[in-house]
Parts: sequence; structure tokens; C-alpha cells
Amino acid sequence: MSRPSYGPLSLLAASLLPALGAPAIHSTRHGLVCVGVLLLVSLVVVRDWSSTVRRLGLVALAALSLGLSTWLYGGRDLDVAAGATLRVLYLVIPAAVLTPFIDPTRLGDHLAQRLHLPARPVVASTAALQRLEALGWQWQQIARARRARGVGADGGILHRARVTASMALSLMVSTMRMSGSMSLAMDARGFGAAHRRTFAEPAPWQRRDTAILLGGVAVAALPWLYLVVTA
Amino acid sequence: MPRTGGGRVDVRGLTWRPSGRRVPVLAGLDLRIEPGEKVLLAGASGSGKSTLLRAIAGLLQTTDVGELSGEVSVDGRHPQERAGTVGLLLQDPSAAVVADRVGRDVAFGLENTRTPPDLMPGLVAGALRAAGFPYDERRSTRTLSGGETQRLALAGALALRPQVLLLDEPTSMLDADNAARVRRSVLAACEQQGTTLVVVEHQIGPWVEHLDRCVVLDRSGAVIADGRPGEVLARLGESLAAEGIWVPDLPAPRPLSVDPVLVTPTLHVPVGEVLLAAERVGVTYGSPFGGSAGEPRNVALDDVSCVLHEGESVVLGGGSGAGKSTLLAALAGLQAPDRGAVHIHPRLAGRKGRVLHRLTSPELAARVAWVPQLPEHGLVTHTVLDELLVSARALGQPAAAAERRARALLEHLGLAALAGSSVHHLSGGEQRRLVVAAALVHGPAGLLLDEPTVGQDRNTWAAVTGLCLAARNAGAAVGVATHDAVATHALVSPGGRTLTLERGRLT
Amino acid sequence: MSSSVESQPNRASGGRRTTVLASRPLLGYRTVDLVSAAMLGVAFGVVFWAWSLVYNAPAAALYAVFPPLTALLAGPWLLAGVVAGLLVRRPGAALLAEVVAAAVSALIGSQWGWTVLLSGALQGVGVEIALALFAWRRFGPFVAVLAGSLAAACEVVFYEWWQYVVDFSWAWKLAYLGAFVVSGAVVAGLGGLLLVRALAKTGAANAMPPGQEELERSAV
Ligand SMILES: Nc1ncnc2c1ncn2[C@@H]1O[C@H](COP(=O)(O)OP(=O)(O)OP(=O)(O)O)[C@@H](O)[C@H]1O
Ligand SMILES: Nc1ncnc2c1ncn2[C@@H]1O[C@H](COP(=O)(O)OP(=O)(O)OP(=O)(O)O)[C@@H](O)[C@H]1O
Ligand SMILES: [Mg+2]
Ligand SMILES: [Mg+2]
Repeated sequence: MSRPSYGPLSLLAASLLPALGAPAIHSTRHGLVCVGVLLLVSLVVVRDWSSTVRRLGLVALAALSLGLSTWLYGGRDLDVAAGATLRVLYLVIPAAVLTPFIDPTRLGDHLAQRLHLPARPVVASTAALQRLEALGWQWQQIARARRARGVGADGGILHRARVTASMALSLMVSTMRMSGSMSLAMDARGFGAAHRRTFAEPAPWQRRDTAILLGGVAVAALPWLYLVVTA
Repeated sequence: MPRTGGGRVDVRGLTWRPSGRRVPVLAGLDLRIEPGEKVLLAGASGSGKSTLLRAIAGLLQTTDVGELSGEVSVDGRHPQERAGTVGLLLQDPSAAVVADRVGRDVAFGLENTRTPPDLMPGLVAGALRAAGFPYDERRSTRTLSGGETQRLALAGALALRPQVLLLDEPTSMLDADNAARVRRSVLAACEQQGTTLVVVEHQIGPWVEHLDRCVVLDRSGAVIADGRPGEVLARLGESLAAEGIWVPDLPAPRPLSVDPVLVTPTLHVPVGEVLLAAERVGVTYGSPFGGSAGEPRNVALDDVSCVLHEGESVVLGGGSGAGKSTLLAALAGLQAPDRGAVHIHPRLAGRKGRVLHRLTSPELAARVAWVPQLPEHGLVTHTVLDELLVSARALGQPAAAAERRARALLEHLGLAALAGSSVHHLSGGEQRRLVVAAALVHGPAGLLLDEPTVGQDRNTWAAVTGLCLAARNAGAAVGVATHDAVATHALVSPGGRTLTLERGRLT
Repeated sequence: MSSSVESQPNRASGGRRTTVLASRPLLGYRTVDLVSAAMLGVAFGVVFWAWSLVYNAPAAALYAVFPPLTALLAGPWLLAGVVAGLLVRRPGAALLAEVVAAAVSALIGSQWGWTVLLSGALQGVGVEIALALFAWRRFGPFVAVLAGSLAAACEVVFYEWWQYVVDFSWAWKLAYLGAFVVSGAVVAGLGGLLLVRALAKTGAANAMPPGQEELERSAV
């Protein structure tokens, strides 16, 4: 049962810690230096570029639109707008880079075993999370079944909207049906009575987790250090 | 923790009437099963077998509401009192997946019974082997075919090593070889640990010689036969066959003869011409959310060409995971091929031409119909009669005539009494028949059915195959993916042929 | 010793509709409660993802008119908590659903990274406050609207003012809050309630109190 070898908690922390550093960024130059450093580090870390590029694209789009609105409504000051853009980039690039390494099942393991969150909700949530893709397929199945029966989504915009709304209800119905049968299947394997349970895989905190955490702290500190050094 | 020994099951005066049903599904049922006994539970589709298994597992009220009375106990206690007393394999195996990796999924029950983690890998590997699961424990649970999922779910139930093992149609989606393997290992595992076993299966033939006892439910959920399988079948064989039981060694049931008016296509192509033609079709599966991290892409079909003629039935065969369902969906215009295309007869071209997956939804519905492998995926409304009339309404067919046809089809399939019922509360076999009927009502010229006979008793089987044959004889092109040898035989001779897929290619 | 008589669901009659409450104790979550709340989170995570793909065009249009108006489009993001809260009727269900939904958007790829967890949690807490005010005994339109509004208010006051619309003036920030609350009340509150009732009608929610209410109504 091999999994990516990084602990999810350190990754999560490293994705969130930059939020402490970002507020320090105010000028364009400051932001460029910090974001530049982040991107350089990312070059080393990233394995799977296709997924990371998609995530970074999303992030860049959001940051740019924020920058544009800041420019329009924040006194049309280019430096302020660029600062805002770079601040957001600094905040979310780590998440875009690190998220592909986070495995929901491992996250569940660590939340329950390392942070000692109550096991039943955690296990139910990881079981539900692994149905994410199944729900994506479900949407396609619903679309398929409706198309085969002559009530699919094509035609005018209004018709499409109506069909999409009723498909959304169908998705919710499927969700509830899935929840029901999944609970049945879980209880059929003893989950109902399992107020305490063991876990098939351990949730170790490894040296590399400490390293990732320290990396996150460094990223949080970098903008402040820059301020101190340039002051 | 490995436990040895089986549990004693005691069901006393069990009555269960789900809300929304007038008559109880089970009425005053008494059943006592001794530790280590191996019981076959048979009965017509809709007789209450799955319901009884859920009752024995103590899980009737998990998702359903209703009036329940009587008692169920395992060794004198409520079955859910201690984790892992009973293990239940559900009829729909896709419901059972709880983890993203195979190994973790099988270990789920072990975690719940607080098995020490260092014992788990061995138990998991053993259970996977016993279930005849073809891949290792690192395989993602998301990319399995129907039969593969079924074996995974079985491994999950076996790994738990319960005192009472309840299996609901454990081999319904497997080919004969795999089914035999699974049967052998289930029996061996129970033998070894003295587990009490209750198996529900329609194809009882291969099981009877290995089990101690055979319990038969009639359509009202009452026990009509109980005893050693050989004796019961010898004594009551004929009447059980009439009830719908697949009594071994009897000749296959004769497909029902159906009034052609019910199934005649509304759109015609000239006699014997090609209705659907798949040309060099290739399909590769990825993630529904676009490229996700490192998931392998799965080639399900590779360069497949085939045709379906008017008035012909074609059976798609091949092992589990060979690509049958994928090809069928492509032939139904629902799976847009990544390479190649499926074309329809020029006379039935739509506004945008002959490429099947480019037809609009009403155009497609008027031409070809599809029944998915998991019937629940084919449902688009909430009540049985509505479900049958959806397409006729969408196509603007006369309402009264459509309703007449719908009711006649329900009658044939033994669903007449359920016309007003919720589609989600049907038994597995009932739901499948409903989806088959819904595919036929509006008279499509092509019929593509994925495992339409799974979970059917003799009578409903005869009705389903009878409808397929009647549609074919009335001029429809019928494509059926199945591993049911009897159905293959009935559909193929004469006027049909088989195509065999292997790893996404026609052989 | 027997599986016979499970505790009958508690009832509190409030007007025309009988209200079926979750079986007590309130924190005695059945497996199906936990799984339903979490699965609703996942389903809404997918809905959020789909919504974020179409969100930009209308948002740009509203932005051009008056920037704080973009908050009118925020309602769908609050649905998960309201729906889970109204359906499961136990403390924590709304929070669980919102957090799971946020985790799903982060995992699929969110422009805000894992900070969405924080905003998910705040929205969930908003719904929980509304339900707690009525001790998980009332789930009608008023409570639903309150839940949607409080989810919106928590999100804006504790999060978006400081992260998202930092450069708005205070007048704009208040307008933003107002638009957000309206959207939360209408889309998430009333919309969520309608969705729950529609779900109950299909029979898919029979294991949940609203499904049982529907059964009682049709049982007459
Ligand atoms: N929740 C429910 N509400 C109403 N009716 C129900 C419900 N569950 C089951 N039924 C009905 O109870 C009957 C027995 O269902 P069950 O699933 O036990 O049948 P089965 O013997 O397993 O059939 P199959 O062989 O087709 O799987 C069916 O007629 C079904 O429609
Ligand atoms: N959604 C999916 N994502 C990825 N791979 C898939 C998906 N669905 C099917 N596959 C894979 O594609 C191949 C063909 O699947 P398909 O369902 O067509 O097989 P099948 O012949 O119908 O099998 P069965 O008899 O078990 O139903 C299998 O290897 C399967 O693992
Ligand atoms: Mg059944
Ligand atoms: Mg298949």
C-alpha cells in the first residue's frame, strides 16, 4: 500500500503558513523578489507539471483579476495593484504546488491518529472524499441516461438551464442514495459498532515532515526578513 | 482478530413492512440457522431475499423506514452489538467501496474490529487471493469493471472473518471460470473457520452440492421449502421451477412470446441492412475532472469495428474488464469515441448527419435505446410508471397508446403491482427489468442492453429474453453484453451471432 | 437483544407540517448521518467547482455595474452547510459538510488554495449558530433564511473583508456584506430548503428526518 512519502499535515501547514507572510508584501519589488524565490523553490519540488500548471493557471487568473480590480478602484496606482496581485500569488502558490502531494486517505489517517480527531467522522469523510471521482462519473451517467431517453441537455439556453437544474437534483438524489448504500456497506463490515478502531497504515511524523514544516516557516518569514534587511 | 466458529442465527416472527408498501415484504418469518451451517437462500426476484439478509445483519432500518417487529439475534445478541459478528456482501458491489486503494478497502473491516495493523497485510492478501481478485493491493478502486468490483467487495467481507457470512448474489457479474473460483474459495474459507454461511443466488445449480440446506422464499416472503438441497429439489423441483427458481438440470425456460406490437420499432431501415456501424473505435478513460495527478489512463477499446443489422441479435462476450460495457455505450451514441466513430443507417441520419454521438437527445432516443450495467444509472425519474413514459413524452408520442404499451410491458415483467412505486425501492432484479422496459416502450430501432438478465429468476428471465427476441423479430437490431451462457444461447440461435472482446479488441 | 423496536423519532408539532427531529441524543450520530453529511460536502464540492467555471462571466458584468454586487453571486457557495444542517439535523453536520466541500475544492484545484478551509469552516459555523438558536428543533423557512444569512455574515465579517475585498472602502464593504447576506438568505437559505424538500419528495432521504416528514404527510 505505497503512498507518497510526505505527511499530509506538514504539507497542509506549509500550504497555509504563507498566509502569515503575505501581508508584509506592499511594493512591487518586494513582491517580485518573494514570488520569484517561491517559483525557484517550486522548480525543485514539482514532479507532476500538468496538474500543477493547471492549478497555477487558476491562481494566476484570480490574482490578475484581483490586481485589475485594485487598479480600477484603488486609485489607479500600478504599484498598489501589483502589490496586491503579488501578495495573493505569494499566498496561494504554495498550495498549488503542494496539493498534488496531499493524499486524502493519508490526510484522514493523520487527522485521526496524529491529531486524535474523532475517528468516525474522519473515516466517514475520507470514505466520502474517495467518492469524489465517482460523483464526477455520476454526473456523466446522469447526462448519459437522460440523453438516451430523449430528455438530455441540448437545444436552447433556457432548456439547457432547466435540464441542468434537474440534473443537479438527480445528482443530489444519487448522493443520498450513495450515502445510504455506503453506510449500509460500512455497517455491514462493523463500522456501526466501531467506536474505537485501528488503522491499517501508520501516520508517522518523519524528518522530512519537519523539513517541510521549516520550509513553510521560512516562506512565512521571507517577506518580513526582506523588510528588515531593506529597512 | 481471527475468530473461529460460526454464529447461531435466530429469526423469530420477523415482520417488515417498509413505509409506502401496503403488504409486508416479510411476514412472521421464523428461521433458525445452526453454527457452521451453510445455507442457500433462493426465491423469485422480489421475494425478499436481500431484505432477509439485511435483517439478519441487523441493518433493516439503516436507510429504510418501516414497521418492524419480531426478533433477530446472532448467538443471542443483536447482530450489530459487536463489530464483525456478521459480514454482509451487498447485491450492488459498487456501493461497498470505501477506500481509494484496494488494500485499504479490504482492510476496512479489520480496522473496525481493531485488528493489530501488523496482521493486516497478510489477512488482506489472503482475502484478495480467495476472492480471485486479479490485481494487487495498490490498484486504485476507481478503475475497476463491474466484475472486478464484485470480487473486491467479496474480499472485504471475507477478510472480516465474521461468525456469520451473508452473501447477496456474490457471482452474478462473473464469468463461469471466475464464478467457480470464487465459489471454491468461499466454501473453503467457511469450512476452515466453521463460519455460518447464507448465500443468495439465482443460479443455484453450482452451489447445491456444497451446501447443507436450502431455504426457499415464495413471492410473499414466506418460507415454502426448507431442507437438504438434494431432497428439496427432488421433492419440489417442478413447483419450485414454476415459482421461478433455477432448479438445476431442468431445460432452459422458453423465452416468453410477446405481442410484436409492444416492441416494433417506430423508425425502419430496409430488411437486413446495417443499422449501426462502429468504425475503428477507440476509447481511453481518464479522470472526469481533467488531468489528475499521476492516474494512469486506461485504454478500454482499441480499434474496434463491428456492425449491427436490422433484425439481428448480437451477443457481446469476453471476460470481465474486456470492454463490453464501453463498446455498448459507444454503440448507443453515449460514449463519444476518442478515435473512430459509430455511424447510423443513412435513412435515420439526424439533422447533423450520421455520426451517432452527434445526434440530439430526442433524435438518439427515437433511434437507439440503452440499458446500463448498473440499472440505477439508467433511472431518470422517481416512480415506475413515469420512468416508462419519459421517452414517449419527450418524443411526443400519443399518451394513451404509450401508457397502454407501458402497462402491458410491466405486466409481462411482473411489475404491474409496482406501477406507482418509487423506482429506488425496487429489488435489484426488479430495477433491472424496469430499465429494460423503459428502453422498449417508445419503439427504438436499436437496443443495446448491458447484462439484462443478471439477477433474474426463471420467469423474469424468460420475459426479458422474450422481449429481446420479439424486438429483434419485429426488426430491431439488438446488442447484448452478457456472460449468461443460457441467454447467449437463446439470443444467438438462430438469427444472431456473438462477438468476443479481449482487452479492448475484438477477437 | 432484538432488532425490533428502535426508538421512534421524536416529534414536535409546529403548525401544519409535523417536524421530525433527529433521534436523541443529538450527538448520537448514526453512520448514515455522518456519511450523508460528508457526501453532501463532496457533492457540493463538485457543484462549487462547476459554479466557479461559470461564475466569472456574470461576476464581471456585476462588477462593472457596482463591485460589491458580485457578492450576489456568492449564495451557491453557502448551500452545503444549509442543506446538510436541514437534512441531518444534528450539531456539527453543517460544519462537517462545509469543511469537506472546501477540502474538495482545494483538492480539485481552487484559486484560493487551502485557505478555503477557513472560509468553509466559518460558513459552517454560521449555519450551526442559526440551528443552535432553535436547539435543533425548528427547520422551517425562517430558520433556513437565518442560517443562510448567518453563514454569509460570518464569511464576510471574519474572512472576506480581511482577505478578499481588502481594498474596498467601508461603505463598499458594508454594501458587499448586504449583498452577500441577501444572496445567502435567498439562494442558500430558501434554495437550500427547497432542495431539501425536493430531495425528501423523491424518497431518497427516507433515512433522514425530512424524508420521514414526507412519508408522514403522504401517509394520510
Ligand atoms: N424500502 C423499500 N420500500 C418499499 N418496498 C421495498 C423496499 N425495499 C424492498 N422493497 C420491496 O420488497 C420486495 C423484496 O425486495 P428484495 O430486494 O428483498 O428482493 P429480492 O428477493 O432480493 O429480489 P432480487 O432477486 O430481484 O434481488 C421487492 O418487491 C421490493 O420492491
Ligand atoms: N470510469 C473508468 N475509468 C477508468 N477505467 C475504466 C473506467 N470504466 C472502465 N474502466 C476500465 O476499462 C476497461 C473496460 O471496462 P468495461 O466496463 O467496458 O469492461 P466490461 O467488459 O464491461 O467488464 P465487466 O464484465 O466486468 O462489466 C476495464 O479494464 C476497466 O478497468
Ligand atoms: Mg436481491
Ligand atoms: Mg461491463
